[in-house]
Amino acid sequence: MIARRLRASIVVVTLAFATSRAAAQAPPDRTLPAPLSAPTRATLLGLIDSARVAGLPVDPLYSKVREGVFRSADEGRVIAAVQRLRHDLADARSALGDSVGAEEITAGANALRAGIRPAELSRLSDARGRGTDRHPLTVALVVLADLATRGVPPTLAAASVNELVARNVSDGSLLSFRQNVERDLIGGRSAASALDARTRSMIEDAERRRP
Amino acid sequence: MSEPDSPRWLDEIGDELRQEVPVRAAWRTRLLEDVARARRPVAGDDFDDRNDELPMIPTASVETAVAASRRRERVIVLHPLAGIAAAVVFIALGVGATLTALSWHARTLADSSTVTGKTPRPGTTLASNAPADREVVRFELSAPTASRVTLVGSFNEWNPVATPLQRDSSTGKWIVSLRLPPGRHVYAFVVDGDVKADPTAPRAADDDFGSANSVVLVGGRAS
Repeated sequence: MIARRLRASIVVVTLAFATSRAAAQAPPDRTLPAPLSAPTRATLLGLIDSARVAGLPVDPLYSKVREGVFRSADEGRVIAAVQRLRHDLADARSALGDSVGAEEITAGANALRAGIRPAELSRLSDARGRGTDRHPLTVALVVLADLATRGVPPTLAAASVNELVARNVSDGSLLSFRQNVERDLIGGRSAASALDARTRSMIEDAERRRP
Repeated sequence: MSEPDSPRWLDEIGDELRQEVPVRAAWRTRLLEDVARARRPVAGDDFDDRNDELPMIPTASVETAVAASRRRERVIVLHPLAGIAAAVVFIALGVGATLTALSWHARTLADSSTVTGKTPRPGTTLASNAPADREVVRFELSAPTASRVTLVGSFNEWNPVATPLQRDSSTGKWIVSLRLPPGRHVYAFVVDGDVKADPTAPRAADDDFGSANSVVLVGGRAS
């Protein structure tokens, strides 16, 4: 009897650890928050399912719903935000190509939202090159969206980032580029002047480092 | 029993304690049976209740009550190994519950010291030999007058109580370090109830709900 209890204890211990490990490595929560009404949930689930069927990433959609609930947005606004994001995700995937990953699609959708045109995303994708070892564009797209959000004209921002990507500037350098432009803008420099100076500086630096 | 030089109040307490306490017949029977098993009463002994003023209980009732009480007896023998196993189970359940709560909070573990020495600021990316590994990201906000700062984002399901920042009293900065999975994460600070973007990180453009969020990238190529 004691042996049976001991075995049961071991099973319980194993299950407890397995549960905790599984929870620690669990994927993002793909459930809708409880406060939403039944009609809203049905609408949102329909949107999310259509995105899933289309092969688009759905985690950003769930996250958008949760953000709306966190910010106490009314349900109509949450639905509109999810609809818009689903639309942007589809446009970004279309502009960047079918081979891009979920993170690139999400970052691309964010860039579109910032005012970057789909054609500029396509040019960026082309500038990256066409090898099998193509580095993800996620950082470039994040930098692009950030610059546009800070008031840099989208066309200028896209041209600069495109040039840097074409020259294989690293992700770390792209982020430094963003910080430097931001600093210039805060310091009162015009967007065009800041972009031009920082882009040239970054290219020269990349050329110097090239063996 | 009282000593000749005992104070009067002590004698009164002793007298009071020696008063007979009436109990239920069944309880009394069980008690007496146990006493009888333990030792024989001796005349003049404190346990000698032959002059008890309580009503006598018929022998048949005593036997019935004793038999019933014996039927209710349960002998539990706990083997040392079983005791250890039970302790381990409870500890494991506690650890499991804690880990589950932590993982739900942020799918992160607020521990910057045990994973890696790299603690990049949000907005930076890390070189990673194992892309699937989580990386430590340090979030900071300078808010010397704030009384409470938390972090919300796609990595903690936008839960405003899941990831509090700790105040560094020497600098006035609020700090937390999280282990995040690779990818693009959107987040914001909640400063005394107000949502604020990170002033040092790239901004996300999707301000659908009023104010901008920030972006942190994990697992990119840093050089």
